[in-house]
Amino acid sequence: MNKLHFILLGVAVLTAVVFLSFSSERMRSWQSGYLRVSGPALQAGSAISGRVAKLQKGLKTLDQLEEENAALSAQNSELRASSQLSGDLESENKRLRAALDYRERSAFKLLPAQIIGRDASSWWNTVKINRGFAQKVDAAQPVLTAEGLVGRTTTVSKDISIVLLLTDENCQVAARVEGTNEQGILSGQRVAGNSSPELVLNFLNRDANLQPGMKVFTAGVSGAVFPAGIPLGVIKEFRARELDGQAIVEPFADFSRLEDVFVVLGSQ
Amino acid sequence: MIRSVALFAAIYLALVAQEFIPPVPFLGGAHLLLVPVLFCYGALWLPFPAMLGLSLFTGLLSDLAFLHVVGDRVEIGLGWSMLFYVFLGTALRPLQPLFLQGRWEVHCLASGAATLSLLLLQYIMVCLRRGSFLFDWNVCWHIAGPAVLALLLAPLVYFFFKLLPAGIPLRGRGGQHLTR
Repeated sequence: MNKLHFILLGVAVLTAVVFLSFSSERMRSWQSGYLRVSGPALQAGSAISGRVAKLQKGLKTLDQLEEENAALSAQNSELRASSQLSGDLESENKRLRAALDYRERSAFKLLPAQIIGRDASSWWNTVKINRGFAQKVDAAQPVLTAEGLVGRTTTVSKDISIVLLLTDENCQVAARVEGTNEQGILSGQRVAGNSSPELVLNFLNRDANLQPGMKVFTAGVSGAVFPAGIPLGVIKEFRARELDGQAIVEPFADFSRLEDVFVVLGSQ
Repeated sequence: MIRSVALFAAIYLALVAQEFIPPVPFLGGAHLLLVPVLFCYGALWLPFPAMLGLSLFTGLLSDLAFLHVVGDRVEIGLGWSMLFYVFLGTALRPLQPLFLQGRWEVHCLASGAATLSLLLLQYIMVCLRRGSFLFDWNVCWHIAGPAVLALLLAPLVYFFFKLLPAGIPLRGRGGQHLTR
């Protein structure tokens, strides 16, 4: 290496140091710009990978198709019956609310979104969705599926947002256990194994009587990102530790097969 | 020239493509990281100033792709990967003559070592930020798995770029002409 090389090396290091001195807000805006530029490439990649997945799914034998058809017919009958039942319950609910002069509970405004990319890094669990501030998505908005909570938005660009998944150690949610007064903080694990990811519910009472199969919901504490009552998962195991109790929770949402999600924009 | 442009473009495309490659189940869910493999090729092949340019380009794009901002907290800030690639590229300089003589295994080993050190450094920084240090088999697989995949992938990258016209003349030590 000659003198010129040393000078160039110094300039390169200095450039990196300048970037390191950026505030988190500035870093976020740079990332938002990157997402805007990479948007078309990500969308194209997502479309190609979707087509490949569909092609793989489409290659089924006649026996498999017959089996699937039978299962779908059974499910259809079951759903019709349950829809009929919920219709009756809904009208009864409305009648009772009116009788008690209750205000109609505000439902959430949901924005459907598709997952167009998954974090390829080893230490973070994030996905990219095809909605951004052009569709009124903001940072720190809950993202869910029909099964339960998926995560929250972090960086938002014009048409793409990054969602921090519930399985990430940094995504911490105030949670309560159904049918009890137990509340704790639910988060993912730092490095999940190959199997389906599990969540940990910390800071519970060490004497809590929690049984496997109990459901866990968001607690919705004031000022929190997540509203109350969103399903999170089901308790798999409870262990008392020296100072508190910890439960292992199996999430309701299937994180390995996430395709379509909803962003909670706010109440209607 | 074509090879240099292709290298820069490949790094950007690799960053995008990585998002659609599922984790490898038999390696403990390890991810395939294409970028360090491509960077090592460029670091061993390009002249020093161009290597520095490639380091900054690769580092900036990697940081932007993997930046993790939660609230006001950034786990690995913008610029760390730039530093990593600048120092990695500089450290690989002594191996360049061997590589230019056609020793493809230099690139292979460099890719494995670069992927391993990148993930290990990232993990140490994440642990420091989160205030606790955990090390188990899962962590080992998440670091060693991509390094093994990089070792396997490197020869393919080497022979692919070998097919493209180089177009950069190089004078080695003592002024002898080396082929790129």
